[in-house]
Amino acid sequence: MSVLRSLLDRAEPHFSKGGRFSRFGALYEIVDTFLYTPGTVTPGAPHVRDAVDMKRSMFTVIIALLPALLFGIYNTGYQADPGAGLLQNMQTGFVAVMPLIAISYIVGGLWEVLFGIVRRHDVNEGFLVTGLLLPLTLPAGIPLWMVALGISFGVVIGKEVTGGTGYNIFNPALVARAFLFFAYPSEMSGDAVWSMADELTRATPLAVASSVSGADGVYLLKEAGYTLQQLVIGRFPGSIGETSKVAVLLGAIVLLVTRIGSWRIMTGGLLGMTAASLIANAMAPSFDNPSLYLTPVHHLLMGSFAFGLVFMATDPVSAAQTDRGRWIYGILIGSLIVMIRVLNQAFPEGVMLSILLANAFSPMIDYFVLRQNIARRQKAYARQ
Amino acid sequence: MSVIRIRKGHDLNILGVPEKKLQHLQRPVRLELCPLDFRGIKPKLLVREGERVKAGGAVYRDKGRPDILFTSPASGTISSIAYGERRTITGITIDLDKSDIFEDFRVSDADHSDPSSIRSLLLKSGLWPVIRQRPFSGIADPDVSPKAVFVPAMPTAPFAPDIFMQLDGKDRAFQSGLTLLARLTGSPVHLVIDEKNSSPLFTGAEDVILHRFSGPHPAGNVGIHIHHIAPIRHRDDHVWYVLPQDVARIGAFFLTGRLPVTKVMTVGGEAVEQRQYLGFMQGSLIGDILEGNPVSEPARIISGDVLTGTRRDLQKPIGFYDEVVSVIPEKTGRDFIGWLSPGMRKYSVTNLFLSRLFPSGSFSLDTGLNGSERVMIPFGNIESVLPIDIIPTWLIKMIIARDIDEMEKLGIYECDPEDFALCSFVDASKMEIVDIIRDGLDYIEKNG
Repeated sequence: MSVLRSLLDRAEPHFSKGGRFSRFGALYEIVDTFLYTPGTVTPGAPHVRDAVDMKRSMFTVIIALLPALLFGIYNTGYQADPGAGLLQNMQTGFVAVMPLIAISYIVGGLWEVLFGIVRRHDVNEGFLVTGLLLPLTLPAGIPLWMVALGISFGVVIGKEVTGGTGYNIFNPALVARAFLFFAYPSEMSGDAVWSMADELTRATPLAVASSVSGADGVYLLKEAGYTLQQLVIGRFPGSIGETSKVAVLLGAIVLLVTRIGSWRIMTGGLLGMTAASLIANAMAPSFDNPSLYLTPVHHLLMGSFAFGLVFMATDPVSAAQTDRGRWIYGILIGSLIVMIRVLNQAFPEGVMLSILLANAFSPMIDYFVLRQNIARRQKAYARQ
Repeated sequence: MSVIRIRKGHDLNILGVPEKKLQHLQRPVRLELCPLDFRGIKPKLLVREGERVKAGGAVYRDKGRPDILFTSPASGTISSIAYGERRTITGITIDLDKSDIFEDFRVSDADHSDPSSIRSLLLKSGLWPVIRQRPFSGIADPDVSPKAVFVPAMPTAPFAPDIFMQLDGKDRAFQSGLTLLARLTGSPVHLVIDEKNSSPLFTGAEDVILHRFSGPHPAGNVGIHIHHIAPIRHRDDHVWYVLPQDVARIGAFFLTGRLPVTKVMTVGGEAVEQRQYLGFMQGSLIGDILEGNPVSEPARIISGDVLTGTRRDLQKPIGFYDEVVSVIPEKTGRDFIGWLSPGMRKYSVTNLFLSRLFPSGSFSLDTGLNGSERVMIPFGNIESVLPIDIIPTWLIKMIIARDIDEMEKLGIYECDPEDFALCSFVDASKMEIVDIIRDGLDYIEKNG
């Protein structure tokens, strides 16, 4: 250990200001603080600090994503050959999914470091989350070059051009996914993309529920063999990370217990979704749109609602940043998802678009919360 | 009377809490007065090196407000005057005599009820600077009439001295101090005590409005009390505040006619052997305070508590307003892949470490920053320890953007760096929030 430490200490002067490689200071910082906690002491009051830091916070999100990742690997294998055993499925899934994640981390990481070097700032650990989130929202069979293109777009356009980590307006992983979704629709949606084996093609629950005009969406789901229990367990086609609600729930528990994910956003999302889908249910008999029949439980369990709400909507930077604002933001996302799923027949899934739209609104939500805070202060002053 | 319950905040569970046993320091041979303890004054010396001063004799005054005098706590000889950059006076050392000759302030009974003589006696005696003013936390302006006076009598900061230990035997002085403050200002005096405090000294106090607060630190900070009782509306909306010990000193001064100079403080922290209460003389050097009390090096010596104090070495005096000296271990070395460790022994307000699941006694906290500085990512940590209706992330942004108008609207006049200490403590981005708030207040005081 001490050999490694002394090696790093010897390299340090070259990477700090005035050194030969001072341009690559960001690179040194990554390696150095990855291996050893920084030795910095507090410059002044407060003289003691909490053990929490950005590495720990972001690493916790990765832990929260692990159940979804593991189940995603298994499900990828299962969809390829449901008859094979668990180990066989895991192996097939691993071979299919790991390259996606590796490419996402390598290409995205290169961009991050490049921007860190050019703009002379340290690389933020938030990328570890973005780099894992993107592959989990993709179909397992997507070509690797598309992942590379997507993560490049997400990191460069979604994050760095708007100021870098902490300043981005949109969730970078979702920007990447939206880019791929609109640039390569045939690889990102439709019934064919979800399975590795062509003969096993099966429609996703969302596609099924809106398939026959004039029918009842719930009935259509049953007809296609999607029971609620199946929707919870998640052995059906879909993006890698989204299908198992058990895995997403485990992640949600980790995020809520550690308070890394905002409970206000998650609760707001559930409330908004429930209210919107109950309204849809009430309107259902008057129209021949089958999706109107879908209950809140169906909306919760279908598609990427749970995954998006737990992992995407709670991104603290692109979400609203005030406590009241987080409620409004969550409710907005929940109700928009139902609206897009049910009313817009062109998009069976609305999670990505709803969250991106709410990202765009979040500065405005915060603005109103702030004005409200200011008005409340003026009122309190007047009472004195 | 209703209790104001503070829910947001955190009581640091840190090793080295002082024991409740009081010792008195011997009379020191040397004291030092430090003009830098006071925010926004320009000292003008009234004595030269080698000159003699009595206990209560004037040493320097504020150039801007020449009524405000700073006096020597004991009689002796001015032995040296230290200057810093641009000839700012950083310290005035006084070699003490064996015993004191007191300046006689001729306090008569009539002086107890006349606001203008209370004022001039406080100014002349050098006791006036114990009265501070918000916004900005400088010495109270004698030409201003405040809308309220606060006496925060429920310290919640780490290692802060117990209020009963401080006021033990000073009942009469404390009460007359409160009365004098009420007469001096003609404004309500708000005495804020802990929910559980049932001592007649406080519950039976006269000439005050009694308030009860409960909850974790910073529930005892005067800024939190002001926010909930008489919030500061604009920069000319003044509130004064005095620490309880200083209230008793004001009272004692009017009762005896002599400047009372001893106070009770605590010494706390993991890196010092005897953690105890000490009776000490204003201006005592930290070296004298820690005399015969071994410090395990490497350690950081702090005048004040670990959240808001200033780093001092042994040759410097304890701060004018400080009632704690904290000695904590200085961080050395680096941990291998620390971010991956389960964190059984890591101290955190967040639930990110296993130590939260297995609470076991007090924690060792050193001066490590425990992370690298990053851009602001609003996880909500900061908000969870700030019990006032101010949105900290936006205020911080507006301060960095130097937007005076927005800073005012967001309530910067209600803010004080000490109330944001826990925000710095819990921030995952390791931003120096306390410094940013102080910076914003400095900027708005000059340019607002």
